[in-house]
Amino acid sequence: MTTQGTSDQAVADRSEELRRTVARLFGRSLHIRTLDTGSCASCEQEIRLLAAPHYDLQRLGFFFTPAPRHADLLMVTGPMVAAFENAARKTYDAIPDPKVVVATGACALGGVYQPDAFTRGGVAGTLPVDVWIPGCPPSPLALLQGLLVAVGRLADKVQDLDFARNGTPR
Amino acid sequence: MPLWTLRGLRRGIVTTRYPARPDPSAALLPTPPAFRPDVLTPGLADRLVAVCPSRALARDGNLLVFDVGACTACGRCRAAAPEATASSGEFELAATAREHLIKRIPLGGSTR
Repeated sequence: MTTQGTSDQAVADRSEELRRTVARLFGRSLHIRTLDTGSCASCEQEIRLLAAPHYDLQRLGFFFTPAPRHADLLMVTGPMVAAFENAARKTYDAIPDPKVVVATGACALGGVYQPDAFTRGGVAGTLPVDVWIPGCPPSPLALLQGLLVAVGRLADKVQDLDFARNGTPR
Repeated sequence: MPLWTLRGLRRGIVTTRYPARPDPSAALLPTPPAFRPDVLTPGLADRLVAVCPSRALARDGNLLVFDVGACTACGRCRAAAPEATASSGEFELAATAREHLIKRIPLGGSTR
């Protein structure tokens, strides 16, 4: 049990070290490739707004790139239509390691579409997702928070929320 | 090579921290619902599950299982049961694990 404890500790230390390295590499300059796997384009509208002067994504060290080979982070929207699955895998493979996959919006998280002959009903079956951003569509503020969570600059705070509230509704 | 290019390559080009100031538009965003466990009964929970268009709600025994990731904040559950639901006001919902978005809400109304 002691050896098990030590090796668990060693793994934890290594993963913390890796997390810090990735945070240092990605924390100040991160290039994003967006991938639409059959979304209604609302998510794309919100993502586009991130680069507008009001939100000004670049000030935080994030940039959009059209080439997966230049990207560090893959932002995936839509329910992963079957026809796009191959292209999604190729895009993922083309991004150099280390890379982060962010599933964006309720469709990508598996909420809106059931898996059927035409769609996988979510991104997780095709790509290894690291960060999940809910919303339909997620607002630019929610996307910003998601990106900062993805690079380790903000903590995941949703795990502490319980969405239960006693007393009079507001 | 100019000095600022070297500095930018080494340190990145972050110019501000986030958030620089609170965003006034945040109060207007549609947000997922919060539920009142003291009012929710099994019957009411079943009604909410039936009314949800995106499969965000399910019932598991004496629990209402709320998948925040699947919620589209459409407001149908709020319209169906305004006494048992409220706007959560939470929009910064990014999670590092899918399970973090699954919330289990006890149905406390049945015990009264």
